[in-house]
Amino acid sequence: MTQTDDPRIGVFVCHCGHNIAGVVDVEAVAKMAESLPNVVFSCDEMFMCSDAGQQLIRDKIEEHNLNRVVVASCSPRMHEPTFRRVVEEAGVNRYLFDQVNLREHVSWCHTRQPEAATEKAKDLVKMSVARARVLEDLPIKTVKVLATTLVVGGGIAGLRAALDIGDRGFDVLLVEKESELGGHVAKWTHLFPADESGAEVIKPLIKDVKAHKRITTLTNSKVIEFDGYIGNFEVTVENLKTEKKQKFDIGTVIVATGFIPFRPYGYFAYGESPDIVTLAELQELAPSDQLLKPSDGTPVKKIAFIGCVGSREPGVKGHEHCSRHCCAATAKAAADLREKIEEVLILYQDIRTYGKGHEEFYRLARRRHVIFSKFPRDAKPVVTVKNSEVHMSWRDVLADRELTFQPDLLVLATAMIPPEDIAETAKMFSLTRSGDGFFNPEHIKLAPLTTHTAGVMIAGASQAAKNASESVIDASGAAAKAVGLMAKGEVEIESTVSHVLSELCSSCHTCITVCPYGAINMDETVDPPVAFVTEAKCRGCGTCASACPSSAIIMYHSTDNQIMTMVEAYLCSPAQLEGGEPQ
Amino acid sequence: MTTVEKKEVQAKKEWEPQIVAFCCNWCSYAGADLAGTSRIQYPPNARIIRVNCTGRISPEFILASLEMGADGVLVSGCHPGDCHYSSGNLKLRARLTIMKMAIEQAGINPDRIRLQWASASEAQIFADGVTTIVEQVRALGPLRREWK
Repeated sequence: MTQTDDPRIGVFVCHCGHNIAGVVDVEAVAKMAESLPNVVFSCDEMFMCSDAGQQLIRDKIEEHNLNRVVVASCSPRMHEPTFRRVVEEAGVNRYLFDQVNLREHVSWCHTRQPEAATEKAKDLVKMSVARARVLEDLPIKTVKVLATTLVVGGGIAGLRAALDIGDRGFDVLLVEKESELGGHVAKWTHLFPADESGAEVIKPLIKDVKAHKRITTLTNSKVIEFDGYIGNFEVTVENLKTEKKQKFDIGTVIVATGFIPFRPYGYFAYGESPDIVTLAELQELAPSDQLLKPSDGTPVKKIAFIGCVGSREPGVKGHEHCSRHCCAATAKAAADLREKIEEVLILYQDIRTYGKGHEEFYRLARRRHVIFSKFPRDAKPVVTVKNSEVHMSWRDVLADRELTFQPDLLVLATAMIPPEDIAETAKMFSLTRSGDGFFNPEHIKLAPLTTHTAGVMIAGASQAAKNASESVIDASGAAAKAVGLMAKGEVEIESTVSHVLSELCSSCHTCITVCPYGAINMDETVDPPVAFVTEAKCRGCGTCASACPSSAIIMYHSTDNQIMTMVEAYLCSPAQLEGGEPQ
Repeated sequence: MTTVEKKEVQAKKEWEPQIVAFCCNWCSYAGADLAGTSRIQYPPNARIIRVNCTGRISPEFILASLEMGADGVLVSGCHPGDCHYSSGNLKLRARLTIMKMAIEQAGINPDRIRLQWASASEAQIFADGVTTIVEQVRALGPLRREWK
């Protein structure tokens, strides 16, 4: 695990088109890098991640016999895997690569200060080169991937994912906390874009899942413990009724825990009359020939919808996002109901029927004489309940007139928000969440279905508000990701784990108490006993290394020296680094 | 104005706080990425060092940074309860609480160290945190002067 050769570092500064070079003087940065110790090659290039850029790295490694590479470009969270692969193709260990973030951390956030941005860029490159000098190569480790997927959530996404995986010959454990499979879709009466009810759409899926030899379904059940690492997770599932617990060994995970419809207390008099319901509540009414008023059971003759309830509210945490399904769902429900109801009115801020076949519903609703009225964003309709009657008043933007209406039933198209227990689920699977409260994907564009927990995928509305067909697309994608891992049977894992230098260990047990994964134990076979790390359990947080009072723990790829050398490179002058006094 | 005074004025004008920022990979480094992607502008004084978890940050890193002349240190991690490694941030918080007392006793203003929680989606909180530490430290002046 040592690099005996003298470091020969190549520095590649990326323009990223105009993204970096438009602010940072990339040529000056590359020129400065030339003068740094152990740098034998430095250049700037338009796009380092392009085929040409990648080839340049490989060529220069060969030409200059480089054994470390620094690329100063975008965030390593974006392209570190790309460049690690490139250097490896040219025979350099992936752990001898380091990336500088000149785009997200410099040019994009100091756009109006090109000089200061260039100074910062130079410092960051200096720091990275200093780190590269002391990087060490690490072995590339692989682990086996068990051929079973845990699918959490038995809604439309979970069902589709389970079937896709089962059909490809892998085992699936499907865990659903409700007593029935099918999620929200099963309850919906006006599903778009198909002219079928949700139950009709999802019934065949449920039937196939139940009949599938490879799929084990656990309803009324919840994952209560989750341990292990990619390919080799240990899962404990509890039956919520019987409290019986079962343990399973799992290779991959798909989290499809979905959403809940927002219950909009405080909006449009919701809760003040039984005749004000959410779109989800309307959908879940038992299908009948006639829509009846919930308050007195008389037929509904006038119905109104209000869109964007609890969605698209700038500055309101968890309600800033567009819930995506509501415009089309409202148009579809309104068009359906117009067949039986004399007056159907939709009040909207904006209408965005963006998906395949969605625009057709909007037009169908128009054709059937559903009335659309746009209200201003900053003056929402006012709804009051007087003598158990619902009164609405608003300004119609297009007519520029104040209008009023007294519907028999008012339907609020409310936001999709995360389920109440999403924080618990996030913690269980070490997932992060975005501003809308849903799970963060590994990358919003390039890796929307995988997460930062290797081996754990997300699908459907657990990732963001979306409609059923989009959830199904996600599900098949996530299933493909899981199957890809399992079909290969093994996967490379990070070698960035901690290691105890047993000769320095003072047997104090501090590391054992701080390790969140129980990855450190005492080796009692020696006297005195010393700590040792079970590498498969170590996830590389490094908490033990900083807690050890004897400095007996090395955190590979993040050693004390590798960190402190960056601080030195930033703060100390070259003279100081050689042992001189500060200037 | 004497030459010495002139020099001092000039030095004051040119001095810019140097901030070492330790960010965890999963929350705050990603939050800083999002700040860039969202084009949120903040002072260019901080140099981010990426660590897997704030739990990795040894008190020694912070003390050594100050010793080498950093005017301030920013530590930014996941919110309590949101740590990618479940509890590394809590351990860092415990260490930092004690360390702040220690550096105060050593004559260094503890306002030179800032601990903040910024998740991957809290770009503005991250950027505001950088602004805060830079302004805090600017008000205190260069650390080396505090020593003398």
